[in-house]
Amino acid sequence: MTAALELDGLKKSFGKTEIIRGVDLSIGTGERHAIIGPNGAGKSTLFNLITGRFAQSGGAIRLHGTDLAGKAPFEINRMGLSRSFQITNIFPKMTVFENVRCSLLWAMGYRYNFWSMVGRSRALTDGADEILEQINLTARRDLPAGVLSYAEQRALEIGITIAGGADVIMLDEPTAGMSHSETDYIVDLIRTVTEGKTLIMVEHDMGVVFGLADQISVLVYGEIIATGTPENVRANARVQEAYLGTALEDH
Amino acid sequence: MSDQQARKPAQPLQAGSIALPMIPWGIAAVLLCILPFIFTNNSAITIMNQMAITIIFALAYNMLLGQGGMLSFGHAVYAGVGGFACMHIINSGDFFSGLPLPVLPIFGGLVGMWLAIIVGAFSTRKAGTVFAMISLGVGELIAACSVIIVVFFGGEEGVSGDRTYGLPFFGVEFLQQIEVYYLIAFWLMLSAILMYLYSRTPMGRMANAVRDNPERAEFLGYSARWVRFYSFVASGFFAGIAGALFAINYEILTEENLNTTQSGIILLVTFLGGVGFFFGPILGAIVFTLVQTVLSLQTELWGFYLGIIFVATVMFFPGGLAGLIMMHVPALRLGKLGRLGVPYLKTLLPAAIGALGAAALVEMIFHVRHAPNGDQEMTLFWTTFDSHTILPWGIATLVTVVGFGIMRATAPALVEAWNEANTPDGMSE
Repeated sequence: MTAALELDGLKKSFGKTEIIRGVDLSIGTGERHAIIGPNGAGKSTLFNLITGRFAQSGGAIRLHGTDLAGKAPFEINRMGLSRSFQITNIFPKMTVFENVRCSLLWAMGYRYNFWSMVGRSRALTDGADEILEQINLTARRDLPAGVLSYAEQRALEIGITIAGGADVIMLDEPTAGMSHSETDYIVDLIRTVTEGKTLIMVEHDMGVVFGLADQISVLVYGEIIATGTPENVRANARVQEAYLGTALEDH
Repeated sequence: MSDQQARKPAQPLQAGSIALPMIPWGIAAVLLCILPFIFTNNSAITIMNQMAITIIFALAYNMLLGQGGMLSFGHAVYAGVGGFACMHIINSGDFFSGLPLPVLPIFGGLVGMWLAIIVGAFSTRKAGTVFAMISLGVGELIAACSVIIVVFFGGEEGVSGDRTYGLPFFGVEFLQQIEVYYLIAFWLMLSAILMYLYSRTPMGRMANAVRDNPERAEFLGYSARWVRFYSFVASGFFAGIAGALFAINYEILTEENLNTTQSGIILLVTFLGGVGFFFGPILGAIVFTLVQTVLSLQTELWGFYLGIIFVATVMFFPGGLAGLIMMHVPALRLGKLGRLGVPYLKTLLPAAIGALGAAALVEMIFHVRHAPNGDQEMTLFWTTFDSHTILPWGIATLVTVVGFGIMRATAPALVEAWNEANTPDGMSE
């Protein structure tokens, strides 16, 4: 079985500063993989490299065996990889429904279509409403997305991310800045909507990480120092020494 | 299931998503048909023709500015080049004599689109400042071409022709202004409907998405650049139609149809009307054309007043006229719109009187500075007086000060009434 996502000696430097210093990682299909590590370890940079936001300085990224070098974000998205952002990234002036509908368009084959009416398509409307139901925003359907509460916007962002039917979902700190109850809500939501998909996430909240992930990678100073099941990572002496120690024992 | 119940309230809205809301479009079509019977004289029809052409151009411009988030400073060239191309078709002799005039705008549109494809290929790479600067540069460049490529642009005197040489269209030769009116009205309806429908297609929706957040759109599978490019090309097409109608209506095109002044005017018209709503540019074009034609008959300083209106719009009502109207919808829904009537009257009437007083002062200054020596008599608001005596200045100053003074005194009450009208009953704190 080929891995859903494979990183091979991935490197990234900004000028002379090397942020990602040779990352090798293989994430299997259907796996829930969390990437953890201290601030500034390069987690977000790694995400941006994989999704084509930045170009890599060396190494290779393969999605289902296809090399992603030189591909633009929209091309990578069309290959079945979708991501959310650390800072909420939605269409604030458009309605919640419109946000979700726009994220369905490409996947439903509309491409650059300028001759059919989006309002006329039952499949499109029903599809968007179904996503709204999954993320529990049906009641907010016709409000501008910008007026939603923070947790609702995060839920919407997850909805937009999964709407296109991508099979590899990347979430960048989905619970950042949330209260406990909001976090629990989002974790449940992530678990349901990513059912049967490959999930890769960056997360600081260890409760979330150990609750959701089957595999954890620890990124420190641009290198992965350990990959394995939560138990193995928790027991790993290098990980404890390098970064987590106390945080891990709490859980 | 609770999910099913939760979904119910959304259903009526869903059923209402018909592509074209029939009532406003029906009213518009009927109005276009009967207006020439209400305003029968030739100058009124000339004004309406000008208005209709400006509406199409402003709607096309808003496909960029309002819907695509692209600020263009050189959009007149797409209308202008489309218009010039149509003038050459009109002058082509045999080809034109086999072509019914009402079909001509298609050619204008195609030429506008062709130019937009060429320019858009490199200008839509980025939105924002880069796009704005390229549009300005290309606008200047093509306007400058008018004196270089004389064979196409006709140099300083432009290109003129005679529209009546076309193949008669069901016996109509378009000799009369009224016949041209209906030709333009037809194209206005058609273009407006097509542009409205375009905003409801996947491309139209994604143009909004790219405007709001290009990066997010890219991570949804759409190339922001291609989305901008398609909007740009569509806008160029409809601008070209406007240019063609200009050619048909005036039978002459000159450098003035291409230059940055014209590009600036269409930006002003669109913004004045409001970029946030589809009907905004329509309002803007109507108001602008009225101000331009009617006010310019009254005063040489109409551009000055227009400038003030524009600055006031940008500063206080960034949603334009359309935004101003739509601001009242919440109060209307609450059934409290009527409560604003008296406060509005108390504030806006003195404000209008104050504005007239200020305008009188401006006109008097202009008269004193620019009237020939010895001509001290001027007529303002049907009153003739000597602009070099103290009394009229005193009256105008008094009216201005008192008018704006009352406005300031009653404004807080208006704000209060406004807040009250926008609060549902029983929810006031």
